Amino acid sequence: MSDPDGDPAEAPPTELLRIEGIRKGFPGVVALDGVDFDLRRGEVHVLLGENGAGKSTLIKMLSGAHRPDEGRILVDGEEVRINGAQDAERLGIATIYQEFNLVPDLTVAENIFLGRQPRRLGMIDRKRMEAEAAVLLERVGVTVSPRARVRELGIARLQMVEIAKALSLDARVLIMDEPTAVLTSEEVDKLFAIVRRLREDGVGIVFITHHLEEIAALGDRVTVIRDGKSVGQVPATTPEDELVRLMVGRSIEQQYPREREEVGEALLEVEGLTRDGVFHDVSFEVRAGEVVGIAGLVGAGRTEVVRAVFGADPYDRGTVKVAGSELRRHDVNAAMDAGIGLVPEDRKGQGLVLDADVAENLGLVTLRAASKGGFVDLKGQKEAAARIAEQLGVRMAGLHQHVRTLSGGNQQKVVIGKWLLADTRVLILDEPTRGIDVGAKVEIYQLINELTAAGAAVLMISSDLPEVLGMSDRVLVMAQGRIAGELPTEEATQDAVMALAVSTPTTPPTTPDSVTEVTEVEAPRGR
Amino acid sequence: MAADTLKSKTGATGASGLRRLLLDNGALTALIVLVIAMSALSGDFLTADNLLNVGVQAAVTAILAFGVTFVIVSAGIDLSVGSVAALSATVLAWTATSEGVPVWIAVILAIATGIACGLVNGVLISYGKLPPFIATLAMLSVGRGLSLVISQGSPIAFPDSVSHLGDTLGGWLPVPVLVMIVMGLITAVVLGRTYIGRAMYAIGGNEEAARLSGLRVKRQKLVIYALSGLFAAAAGIVLASRLSSAQPQAAQGYELDAIAAVVIGGASLAGGTGKASGTLIGALILAVLRNGLNLLSVSAFWQQVVIGVVIALAVLLDTVRRKAGATPAAAGAGTPGNKGRQAATYVLAAVVAAAIVGAMSFLHNGSSDGKNQKIGLSLSTLNNPFFVQIKSGAQEEAEKLGADLTITDAQNDASQQANQLQNFTSSGVGAIVVNPVDSDAAGPAVRGANKADIPVVGVDRGVNKADTAALVASDNVEGGRLGAKALAEKLGGKGTIVILQGQAGTSASRERGAGFAEGLKAYPGIKVVAKQPADFDRTKGLDVMTNLLQAHPDIDGVFAENDEMALGAIKALGSKAGKSVSVIGFDGTPDGLKAVQDGTLYASVAQQPSELGRIAVRNALKAADGEKLDETVMVPVKVVTAENVDGFTG
Repeated sequence: MSDPDGDPAEAPPTELLRIEGIRKGFPGVVALDGVDFDLRRGEVHVLLGENGAGKSTLIKMLSGAHRPDEGRILVDGEEVRINGAQDAERLGIATIYQEFNLVPDLTVAENIFLGRQPRRLGMIDRKRMEAEAAVLLERVGVTVSPRARVRELGIARLQMVEIAKALSLDARVLIMDEPTAVLTSEEVDKLFAIVRRLREDGVGIVFITHHLEEIAALGDRVTVIRDGKSVGQVPATTPEDELVRLMVGRSIEQQYPREREEVGEALLEVEGLTRDGVFHDVSFEVRAGEVVGIAGLVGAGRTEVVRAVFGADPYDRGTVKVAGSELRRHDVNAAMDAGIGLVPEDRKGQGLVLDADVAENLGLVTLRAASKGGFVDLKGQKEAAARIAEQLGVRMAGLHQHVRTLSGGNQQKVVIGKWLLADTRVLILDEPTRGIDVGAKVEIYQLINELTAAGAAVLMISSDLPEVLGMSDRVLVMAQGRIAGELPTEEATQDAVMALAVSTPTTPPTTPDSVTEVTEVEAPRGR
Repeated sequence: MAADTLKSKTGATGASGLRRLLLDNGALTALIVLVIAMSALSGDFLTADNLLNVGVQAAVTAILAFGVTFVIVSAGIDLSVGSVAALSATVLAWTATSEGVPVWIAVILAIATGIACGLVNGVLISYGKLPPFIATLAMLSVGRGLSLVISQGSPIAFPDSVSHLGDTLGGWLPVPVLVMIVMGLITAVVLGRTYIGRAMYAIGGNEEAARLSGLRVKRQKLVIYALSGLFAAAAGIVLASRLSSAQPQAAQGYELDAIAAVVIGGASLAGGTGKASGTLIGALILAVLRNGLNLLSVSAFWQQVVIGVVIALAVLLDTVRRKAGATPAAAGAGTPGNKGRQAATYVLAAVVAAAIVGAMSFLHNGSSDGKNQKIGLSLSTLNNPFFVQIKSGAQEEAEKLGADLTITDAQNDASQQANQLQNFTSSGVGAIVVNPVDSDAAGPAVRGANKADIPVVGVDRGVNKADTAALVASDNVEGGRLGAKALAEKLGGKGTIVILQGQAGTSASRERGAGFAEGLKAYPGIKVVAKQPADFDRTKGLDVMTNLLQAHPDIDGVFAENDEMALGAIKALGSKAGKSVSVIGFDGTPDGLKAVQDGTLYASVAQQPSELGRIAVRNALKAADGEKLDETVMVPVKVVTAENVDGFTG
């Protein structure tokens, strides 16, 4: 498609959208520093870049959330100003964000037509609304009742509802921000089919993804953004390592640089941990200098187990020991005092105080220890924060930058950093690299190496199979709330892990309900 | 942030530094605009005395607001502070007087009461998982109720030793201002430097992240609400010592002023932000506004409108300022977008200034150009036709005699009335007419007027422990007696009746009730089956009467301590009113008299409110000219029934 000497019988693809020399600054940072981009009818144009490169800022300009400081946006060849969501809607630009804009307690049909419900005599015409919603849902190929409450849907279906909503707005430009990040392989295939159908209908699609293999599968052209600048436009057939080089500005030697250490004594011992209806009889140990990975399907109970180990949630039976001494149940502070740290799955919701600055966030865990007679040693806290931020290479305008404005990778470094400051001996990482770009991922892996080299133990949950296999010394696989098996790194292959993840562990769960509850089965994604 | 801003400022001129400071702090800008506007409009504003008055008047709100700042920063809300303040003050007065406890122990007990209330809030919120709004709303009611229980509804006069807390230090520094400053400094230190303070920001910013980082969130919340309770107790003590009496009804609605002050100061109700300095500025904005509006004689009704508008504008200014991204240093101040927004901020600030100046000069009736004698009239409330009639009578008389009359409305709040009296004194009126919210509480402020040699005339209610040139009043006790006689005779000396009482703790309710009880002694055949408060309010009269009718369907008569409640009772009685049930009201308001004409109200013990207003102003003018007055001027009350209603004029 990018070939101008293509089939002469076909009309040249018309340009829908053009962005020229866009610049945008925020207090303390320049988010975009000269970005060019264009989108034609009936193409999938992939926007590629590390987190923090400026992709999100760019699409927020198109959806009217931000206004450019400099540069032009043209739609159908005419310069436009997009000052808000209404302007974007009028221009036929729809955006599907990673966080969905749906109201959980309204029905699917109500969500699709929110604010534009068809009316009759001033009352909402439910029948018509539901019929029209059914047509749209049919078009995206999802079987869900227009009357279903959005709260009851799984993530994949929520996304389909968002797409249906965009279609109801007659969108000609559809922006999708990492739509596959949360989907299973099967769901991704379905999504691709829908995107291809939309492309045939002449919709221009801006597609953001971190999964390079998706580019060749779906894309037509790729624009790579680095440090707020567009650094190149290449066809989607470009080899992956070339794309990575463009994206990070250097080639990445090794994706999983795990250095295995001599393991020491057991630091964390979990014995027969059970929370009725959630997880059962979970036992494992993690030794000093060791990385233990926990693989499994979403809903297998991995997060629940580590939260219970950390004391964030209660459990019914079993014991948790750190270096031989038993921890009090459901007591975060006991776990912390023993040297456990948790980097939670939901970085923004549970890991960070978004509107506080980097220094505050880094000092959160050590706040109590740094207080004497109720007064905080502010100077010491600040020095410690500066030291750890430097050590972790947090890219920021300064310690006073609000963490909300950091990129995902740098945010994650802050979350890990606050535990490093507290001399954590057992670090639990729950999906540590979700939504983080390649470069930052490797930095986090290096950090894990440093930790284990210093004699700490790391327990890592990940749904990214290559990551689990590449970084773990041992892999525990969970299925249906139980440990389905343990694989030493030599035996751990994607197939072996998957076989255990979908198995039914020895003693089946006591209640049949807990099996049927797991409706949205998500397979770990292989690359 | 401060260090960064400072760094980026080095090299900039002082003027641009100031500009940055103002842009960074919308509330401070609003305060400065207000002060400039007030100084331009009133020569009495920018004097040392008056500025100290503003400080005193801001003190209670500011101290409450400091406590609420802790709560709001941690993403909670505390609606109970007004009630807790009243309860603590009541505990102090009660233990120090009735129980004879030494004052310092009484103060400790009062503070402990505040802390205990806060702890109860904290326990309900942390461990009972109640939303803060509901838990503290419950405490608002409980605290108020307990202070009424302890005080039995009447204000308790403070022992003199405690009243000194309301005095001045070294002859000029008012103690309330000192307490405000100390509490403000404590707040700043707690928020900025202590573990609990930093924890507040973390909890308010993201409670779950705070918990998973090892902050003991539940325990911290207990401390946060206890701190709020402690500050409320301090505010209550300051408030009561200023008034020399603990009022069970004091500080009603102050929680909203406190919350407004915190939010005007730049805190977010969503939590995570807020500063002690901002809260102080917020409280000062409210105080400057009230003080200035008094000095400018803006109509009492318009004052409330202006205050509401300024609150909204102050917060709006801050919001715009935030959106503009107030630290454009790194982003390049030269970009057109930022310039546009900066301009928008300036424009908004200008609009605010223009709106305030315009509104004030428009609303501020009658400038002080003439040589007319100036008289200030402070009414307890304008929420009731009776007082509105006093107001019209006073206005007519002032016009007739050629005097400048400034009228303020204390909204039934003794402390607000004290502020208004203070403002009258400092603006140098010739005489003051006061209709006290409470006779004891008006004392200190009237003593202030005495010191400045400004004669004070009481109207409707007297002032205790201070000199008044005259008291112009109807005889409430006599009125109660007359009411009892009229009702008993109508019922033939026998039957069952209910009494609707006025607002607990007011002198009108006490005196009318006492007079009625005394009058009834002559008629042993009349049985009082129920006695319930309906707060002088028509709607409450309707509700209370409806409830009472469930228990006592066969009553023969109703005595209501004012016409408003009587009219509510008539609504509840429906067709029974004026037929099988005789209702007697009090006051002789226009609505009441009309009901007498219609036959639904049997009688109203009529005062002559317009006459009260007229006579009070006439006496005040005489006093201003140095004439000696009779100590009390009694305006007669009269039982108005269908027979004599046509001839009666209030």
